[in-house]
Amino acid sequence: MSSKSDILAALGSVALAKHPMPQVEIAPRLDDLIGQFEASLKAVGGTLVKEDAMSALQAKVAELVGEGQQVISQVADVTGNRETPEDPHALRDINYAVIDGEFAVAENGAVWVTEQGAGIRIAPFICENLLLVVRADSIVANMHQALKQVDLQSTGYGVFISGPSKTADIEQALVIGAHGACTLTVYLV
Amino acid sequence: MATTTTANHAEKAEIFCRDETRVDWHSKALWLLRQKRDRAASSLPEWEQLRELGSEYKLHTLSHLGEYLEQFEANCVKQGIQVHWAKNGEEHNRIVHEILSKHQVKKLVKSKSMLTEECHLNPYLEQHGIEVIDTDLGERIIQLNKQPPSHIVVPAIHLKKEEVGELFHEKIGTEKGASDPTYLTRAARQHLREQFLSADAAMTGVNMAIADQGAIVVCTNEGNADMGGNLPGLTLHSMGIDKMVPNMEAASVLLRTLARNAIGQPITTYSSFYHGPKPGGEMHIIIVDNGRTKALQDELLAESLKCIRCGGCINTCPVYRRSGGYSYNYFIPGPIGIAVGAQQDDTNTTAWACTLCGSCTYVCPTKVPLDKIISYQRRLKAEQGKLPYGKERYMPMVGKMMGSTTMFNCAMSVARFSLRYLPHSMLKPFSGAWGKYRELPKAPKTSFETWYNQNRSK
Ligand code: SF4
Repeated sequence: MSSKSDILAALGSVALAKHPMPQVEIAPRLDDLIGQFEASLKAVGGTLVKEDAMSALQAKVAELVGEGQQVISQVADVTGNRETPEDPHALRDINYAVIDGEFAVAENGAVWVTEQGAGIRIAPFICENLLLVVRADSIVANMHQALKQVDLQSTGYGVFISGPSKTADIEQALVIGAHGACTLTVYLV
Repeated sequence: MATTTTANHAEKAEIFCRDETRVDWHSKALWLLRQKRDRAASSLPEWEQLRELGSEYKLHTLSHLGEYLEQFEANCVKQGIQVHWAKNGEEHNRIVHEILSKHQVKKLVKSKSMLTEECHLNPYLEQHGIEVIDTDLGERIIQLNKQPPSHIVVPAIHLKKEEVGELFHEKIGTEKGASDPTYLTRAARQHLREQFLSADAAMTGVNMAIADQGAIVVCTNEGNADMGGNLPGLTLHSMGIDKMVPNMEAASVLLRTLARNAIGQPITTYSSFYHGPKPGGEMHIIIVDNGRTKALQDELLAESLKCIRCGGCINTCPVYRRSGGYSYNYFIPGPIGIAVGAQQDDTNTTAWACTLCGSCTYVCPTKVPLDKIISYQRRLKAEQGKLPYGKERYMPMVGKMMGSTTMFNCAMSVARFSLRYLPHSMLKPFSGAWGKYRELPKAPKTSFETWYNQNRSK
């Protein structure tokens, strides 16, 4: 017998009584979603730009490009100076990545990013600084609503990103900037 | 400080307790995590509802596990993911090695996976000439220090920053004497960045496997799973059969509790859904049993498989905080380590490394009945004739004595008399291990029963 059939056979005699499928019936907190999102994002170490965010982002990227920073942008009307490569290793020197998030989550400051939005899966991780663009009317209250919005059938890879990468593995001291981006800014448009 | 299997829990705890300031620090650092967890949990009015849902989703999945595993596999295959099944650790390691050698992998980057620890994958691959780099900062620290993890979420919690500084100076060339956590973390970032960029394949653990999607979810704060998983073409993901959840709604419940309960964050920085290989790449999932189907044959032990490895029970445990992660004779310490590992402890002592205070059960996000399982583990040991030395002889007597009102009352008045009138030096040895770090109590004049009858019974 194969290991698969052995395992499945052993699962035929599980001692637990059959439990029915539960249902989530939790009323979402819908007051001031933008305010909630802003507070959550701040708590996880991110920054929110919400005044005239699109022009602020365009100005910021133009300035970075002018300084010779390496910027890759997937966002329409925001022009970087690098193309999406086929080999992800080619992005090893990227300073800034500009990516569209599909929606954001108020309770935890997370933004849903897919491989289509990122252009290439590695982009939001390998950059030193991550700039995400999210529509203000796309914010949902919590993860129950968020996962209802996620359509995995249309993507091979997606990730909720909540703040810059961090670690507390040395004496529990929080350090921002572990392996992923060291800063995260969300532009709310 | 390699763990040996001969020393029992108390002996190993004693080694850890020699450095009193370290024990105090360790206990406080973990208690801080518990406090952060409490703040995160109490900020959600629906917290208790989420715990109940977490438990129910897990019980539902575990009681239909065969169906969900098959559904999961079929959906993965549709996405071009290759699925493998392993009955035990050996088979898991063999499968991993076969995949890696087919692709001539020399260097593998790995993010945190307690399962690969359970299967002893690293030494196996190293024996076969494959370099394995653990990429979670804490895991890299202990890998360089040649130690196993002392905690499932914060694996290097037993080390002080000065020790990490010394280690990094020796191994990755940081400045001598430097111990600033930010400086050390940045140095590790540089060091590991090179490893990510030069790896031939990546491997991750799995936090959840979603049956109706054929997707896996991996949660990290550092981004190491994604830095690894999204660079080389070949990725492998190992999961125990217990990682299954039926659908996205179930995943949404666990994603709300996991990080809150682990470290007090509303969610981990990255919660990644891998749903197929990258263009031109290969994605493999290895589904592992290794004793889990056996646990499922026992109604109570089965509930230990509801665990989502948040570490919350470990942080709150008064015994773990003061005895350290290396005292349990199992690669998972603390309450959940006892619940799933006590039968493999040949010193037959870790099941007693617990006060049965129930704090673990109270914090668990999927309501694993840890204290019940631990006392059940004691009963199993007793039934197997494996009570630790001493307990076997006096426990039956204690049972008899406590069971008889006359004998109990008589024994208690002898104890009160002795504590009041006999010399300390004569009595102290009778307190055994209990009295090692404690003073004998002051004896009350009367028994509680007499006091109650005189004062409160009217
Ligand atoms: S038993 Fe519960 S509290 Fe302990 S690690 Fe598992 S899920 Fe967390």
